[in-house]
Amino acid sequence: MVIYLIVFFAVTLIYFASAERLATYIRLIGLQGLLLCGIAISELKDVNTANLIFIVAETLLFKTLLIPYLLSAIIRKSGVTKVHRQALPGFYLILFSIAALLLSVVLANSLINPFINTIFMTIALYTLFTGFILIVTHRLIISHLIGFLIIENAVFIFSLAVGSEMPMLINIGILLDIFVGVLILGFFGLRLKPHTNELTMLKD
Amino acid sequence: MTGFFLILISALVFPGIIIRTKSIASGRKGPGVFQPVKDVLVLLGKGSVFSDTTGLIFRVAPVISLSAIFTAILVIPFGNMKGMISFEGDFIFFTYMLALGKFFSIISALDTGSSFEGMGANREAFFSMLAEPAFFILMATLAMFTGYTSFSDIFRGFFIAGNHYVLVYSLIGLYLLVQIAIIENSRVPVDDPKTHLELTMIHEVMILDNSGFDKALIHVAGWLRFAVYGALIFNITVPAGWNVFLQAGLFLFVMAVFAVIVGLIESFRARNKMNKNPKFILALSAIALIAFLVVLIVTDKFIL
Repeated sequence: MVIYLIVFFAVTLIYFASAERLATYIRLIGLQGLLLCGIAISELKDVNTANLIFIVAETLLFKTLLIPYLLSAIIRKSGVTKVHRQALPGFYLILFSIAALLLSVVLANSLINPFINTIFMTIALYTLFTGFILIVTHRLIISHLIGFLIIENAVFIFSLAVGSEMPMLINIGILLDIFVGVLILGFFGLRLKPHTNELTMLKD
Repeated sequence: MTGFFLILISALVFPGIIIRTKSIASGRKGPGVFQPVKDVLVLLGKGSVFSDTTGLIFRVAPVISLSAIFTAILVIPFGNMKGMISFEGDFIFFTYMLALGKFFSIISALDTGSSFEGMGANREAFFSMLAEPAFFILMATLAMFTGYTSFSDIFRGFFIAGNHYVLVYSLIGLYLLVQIAIIENSRVPVDDPKTHLELTMIHEVMILDNSGFDKALIHVAGWLRFAVYGALIFNITVPAGWNVFLQAGLFLFVMAVFAVIVGLIESFRARNKMNKNPKFILALSAIALIAFLVVLIVTDKFIL
């Protein structure tokens, strides 16, 4: 079951490379939260129940509902709907995405370790690279933020890759989630430069 | 041999079903299912007119394209029956026979000396080049999954592999083959066969100078190309061990459903902007690559 979820997660990353609307990005972020919840439930059977409930609630509340809601509010406020200021044409983004996938497989397979789940490691690295690519190739500040959220999802999958050995890492991933929620609300939500119709600058 | 004839029969009604679906979806009475066949029969009765600027390549290209597709059909299996030609790695032969047909249609367009046709040839070559990795990665995935490298063995071994991944690869294969068929046949969303502006055409602009008998051959080649991909879709969705008569019925059913899907896509979906097409096609390769890597990892065949 978990293999279906992880493959579907990887497909959402390709969609990130080809999508052009901010609303699509937000839907994908919400979907990734839901998929991570499913992956966490199927993967973390050894952790205690209270911790598992906390992780599931966090992925559902923060990743699937709260963060997409905050991002939608920012988009509504700014009126910017399309990612129309990419530094590169979309064609190259997909090429980079494919290269990132290949690189992730090579890197994950070179880390042969009985305690690391190779598939999780591959997808975690791919997620990390996708976040980097999104940040480097886009100009809108909200795309950078979404890139950061993807990197944050990568940290979560990294923590699942070694979750049975290091449950502390999962908690660090969750703390990062809460930090992102505060960041979006406080920094981007309130300090975005209004009436410029572009999400490229913050207030002084 | 059964598969060969079934492909020929289904190719005759395939474009008619697409046109019928489109007319029903748009609320028109529309032409009958056999109208494209009647049109081609009329064209076959006419002679061809050749421009003074064209040479030998332009005259032989339609025949070579059609014969290349006929040869490609020979390697496609039907159920447990092998194709008339079957050998290790025959899917590479199949792909390059289709590519040979396309190559001749491209150089024939260039042979006319028309800038419009050159533009169309450029686009067709580029999009085919981008679609090719998706097909090869898909076939490599299936070859890796089953452990065989010929069409008949791959499709026979596919359902014997017998674990729950079969469903996943069947669905991924279905999706990719439908999309590749649409791209290779220049249909919506990549191209629109009904467009009237040369600047927005891809395949249609390449055959502007063809007329009469040659144009009929080009149309028939297009139908056969659709039927060929339909046959692959049939092989990836219906287990090879089933009863032959049931399979023949299912083959025609799968073809009809495939034609209806193409018709519905053309009815309800807008065409892509030209500069979005490369991204759209490349995304298919990326999806195929994910499937391939998952097979590598799941079957422990990835060795550094």
